[in-house]
Amino acid sequence: MSNSKAPISIRAALLASAAVSCLVIAAGHVAVADSTVRKAVPNSAVVDQAPLPPKRVETPLTADHNPGVFARAGKTRDALGFPAGVNRTGRHVKDGFQKTEYDEVDEVDASGQPVSITEFDASGRLTVAVRLDKPGLKAARVSGDAAGKSAQRALAAAGLTAAGTPKVEASGSSDGWDVSWARASGTVPVRGDETRVRLWSDGRVESVAHVEHSLAPEPARRIDVAAARQVASRTATGWFASRGSGYKLESIDLQWVGPNGAFDPNSTVDTQASYRLAWVANVKPSGAAAEYLRLVTVFIDVEDGSIIGGDVIE
Amino acid sequence: MRRAQTLLVSILLAASTLSASSQAAFAATGDVWSNSDSFSTKCVGFNDTYPRQLYNLNATQMANLGYSPVTGGLGAGFTRAAFLRTVYYDYAIYVHSHGDNYWATSGAPNVDSAFLQDPGVGACSTSRDLIRASSVKAATLGSVYHLVIMSTCYLGSGISTMPGAFQIEKVKNSTDPEFYLGYVHSTYDSSSLRFEQAFWSYLNGGTANSRTLYQAFTYARGIGGYAYPDSANPFQPDWWGNPNYNGAV
Repeated sequence: MSNSKAPISIRAALLASAAVSCLVIAAGHVAVADSTVRKAVPNSAVVDQAPLPPKRVETPLTADHNPGVFARAGKTRDALGFPAGVNRTGRHVKDGFQKTEYDEVDEVDASGQPVSITEFDASGRLTVAVRLDKPGLKAARVSGDAAGKSAQRALAAAGLTAAGTPKVEASGSSDGWDVSWARASGTVPVRGDETRVRLWSDGRVESVAHVEHSLAPEPARRIDVAAARQVASRTATGWFASRGSGYKLESIDLQWVGPNGAFDPNSTVDTQASYRLAWVANVKPSGAAAEYLRLVTVFIDVEDGSIIGGDVIE
Repeated sequence: MRRAQTLLVSILLAASTLSASSQAAFAATGDVWSNSDSFSTKCVGFNDTYPRQLYNLNATQMANLGYSPVTGGLGAGFTRAAFLRTVYYDYAIYVHSHGDNYWATSGAPNVDSAFLQDPGVGACSTSRDLIRASSVKAATLGSVYHLVIMSTCYLGSGISTMPGAFQIEKVKNSTDPEFYLGYVHSTYDSSSLRFEQAFWSYLNGGTANSRTLYQAFTYARGIGGYAYPDSANPFQPDWWGNPNYNGAV
């Protein structure tokens, strides 16, 4: 690795050259830039005129003034087996990125670094808990069955309930386990909503997440699946036929979804807070379009058949 | 006396100018690239709005992290020529596009990962638009990179050769100031956006450079709620590099 970084000396030489050039300029002599100096790259587009960037505003919370938040955080930490820090810090976060607000308490180590985070929504319900330390020496890997039971015990101890049988999946990147309960309203899944526990390979909990969106009232009338299939086919034909491409409608089913501006160039893609009932069609392109797109998912409003958003796998 | 005063003023002016110029010269450049035309009416029949939003998010947040200037391009400016011409100068790189692990020209089992440039005003042609890891590696001249984010499918998988193009080994205990982030499987744009929003929100929250990239990664992975197409393609980001690096330039 160190050998591969040797050429940094080249860049360092260029930077040194820049400094010398500046010295010459400062001395009032030749005001000519050294063309080898590392600088803004020629012909490189500047940053697009972007809308104002999202803001994250953190307001400090203290145990004296917010004892309930800190008590919940301590209870959660112990329930999940997270390490205790030498100090605890709290804050109320207005997260303009995700358009959420929550109270957060961190366990902090002696160097001031957080070792775990717990977050609670306005009702005091746990939404996120993550430990940020590392597993250390590898212990024996627990089985999937044991991982599922460990996750269920952790949820119960943390005061969260999750109904039904969880999906237990090996997590390839961390060698651990993902145990998740997808949320459904009746029999209809709520897209993305879930309770998820990530475990290290030895069965210790790394994180818990509870994601739950509000649902709009069920519409009084619904288009049926045949009508929804027609909308999906008409839409996909309009997109792909003129490009000499085809498609296959892989699936279509009812889901609660967050409407978004995925296909509306005049809109941001931001998901709306309140989820709506939709027919969700997965369309797999073929031909030329398939070289760019792996899958297009279209949200079709169950009440009027309009396209209310979707998703793309490029 | 008058000559001495003049000399002193000249020295102070020179020192001041040198200081300001040196700061500019030593600034660490970042590039943010996002392919939008491959996912527009021209190539696929509709306009996918995720590439623009991912571009705006990452351009502003890379600048907030301290990289300056942050250049690159959304759409037609993201060409292979522009990328390969500028990559050497960068310390941070972000790419949003279609990505995959392709066979190298030497054939299987050698892999040469790649992402697609923006086709711009030209015809849609994936074979023409590929920017391979081997080409990137040649253009970097072996120089160092602090932060590389490949917001594509597959370039965070174990067989990806893209980290090596930026001299980043696929280890999780590097002591160099470096961090590579990518997605392992086929990944929905909505999941990339959700993850990257959480990643930047946490990383650039608090006081400047007080949080590490590993912490931001672990936090963003932990918030859940990610859509994924099927059980063979769970949402799975991965990283390599230095777990204690805070992204400071």
